[in-house]
Amino acid sequence: MSEIKGDAEQQKTLKVTWVSYAALLFAIIFFSGLFAAQKGAISALDFNTVAGKFGVIKEFGKNFMGSTGTGARAGFLFALSLIPVTMLAMGVVEIIDQLGGLRAAQKLLTPLLRPLMGLPGAAGLALITSMQSSDAGAGLTRGLKDADIINEKERIIFAQFQLSGGGLITNYLSSGAVLFAFLTVPSIIPLALIFAFKIIGANITRVYINKVEKDL
Amino acid sequence: MERKKNILDMFVEGARKGWNIGITSIVPNVIMAFCLIQLMEVTGVLGLFANVFKPVMAVFGLPGEALMVNLAAIMSMGGAIGVTVSLIDKGMLTPTHVTILLPAIFIGGGWVQYLGRILGTAGVPTRFWPWLVGVCLVNAMVVMLIMRVIA
Repeated sequence: MSEIKGDAEQQKTLKVTWVSYAALLFAIIFFSGLFAAQKGAISALDFNTVAGKFGVIKEFGKNFMGSTGTGARAGFLFALSLIPVTMLAMGVVEIIDQLGGLRAAQKLLTPLLRPLMGLPGAAGLALITSMQSSDAGAGLTRGLKDADIINEKERIIFAQFQLSGGGLITNYLSSGAVLFAFLTVPSIIPLALIFAFKIIGANITRVYINKVEKDL
Repeated sequence: MERKKNILDMFVEGARKGWNIGITSIVPNVIMAFCLIQLMEVTGVLGLFANVFKPVMAVFGLPGEALMVNLAAIMSMGGAIGVTVSLIDKGMLTPTHVTILLPAIFIGGGWVQYLGRILGTAGVPTRFWPWLVGVCLVNAMVVMLIMRVIA
């Protein structure tokens, strides 16, 4: 893959300014659900507050979906009611991405790759990419192996990280976001747990590969 | 020189992507799930299924019907979200159940597609595929146990 660049070149293209870090911090707070219970102006920092709610049809005290629908017709109305949340989430993610927030995350994660999963820092771009698009991340991983930047063991460990919770940021904030309103905990808790278990999974496989597949 | 994009333009660009995901993924997935669950309910299959798996799912603090979410997740995360939504609509899943299920959908989900799309593309030898999937499934179960305590 021609997208793979050397370490130095990759660092050069990583223009991470304070705006990028601010954007990343904002994204974490906004999607975390930590300000869900706040009242007044600070509640503007909460995803569900900005997502708002549908008005109710007064006479019945129900929103436009009504109450006893079933099957495809009920499903259609329910699905329509979920789309605004996805549009809001993807709109905010696009801002964060274009302001360099994800590059800031990549920069912060890069030095941690070796201690966390035994992967070289050069895998940082593929890691952040895999969180946005599972396909693009897998393509970059193939490129890293073909360029001998990672070895066969590292490829399998890295693939384990990507397979569990594939395309996490995009999937969690597009499909997953429709369930945020139903959660009993701040939405950052499930997300943090998923991310932690992606790393734990990679390490389980790391131990297995190193014990059972010594010759690989 | 091209006009520099402002934040509002960026939002609209992303919201457009969200609309496309909504129309091409969420609506079809939710309709699929509502029809499937409706079909299973009127035929009595859902009730039977729920009874059979009640003891297993009780370990995770979930009703038997919740296993439908986990099974759908294996095929696609969007499908699992659709099934979750339809079971909420039927009053079979409470917010606590949804909270337990959400992280498991992602950790153990989507791998039927991802075998080719991630492992195939990345060039992982096929003999490792069962192990890699196994780790995802075990982790999903562990996460449901953790969420049972937190939710």
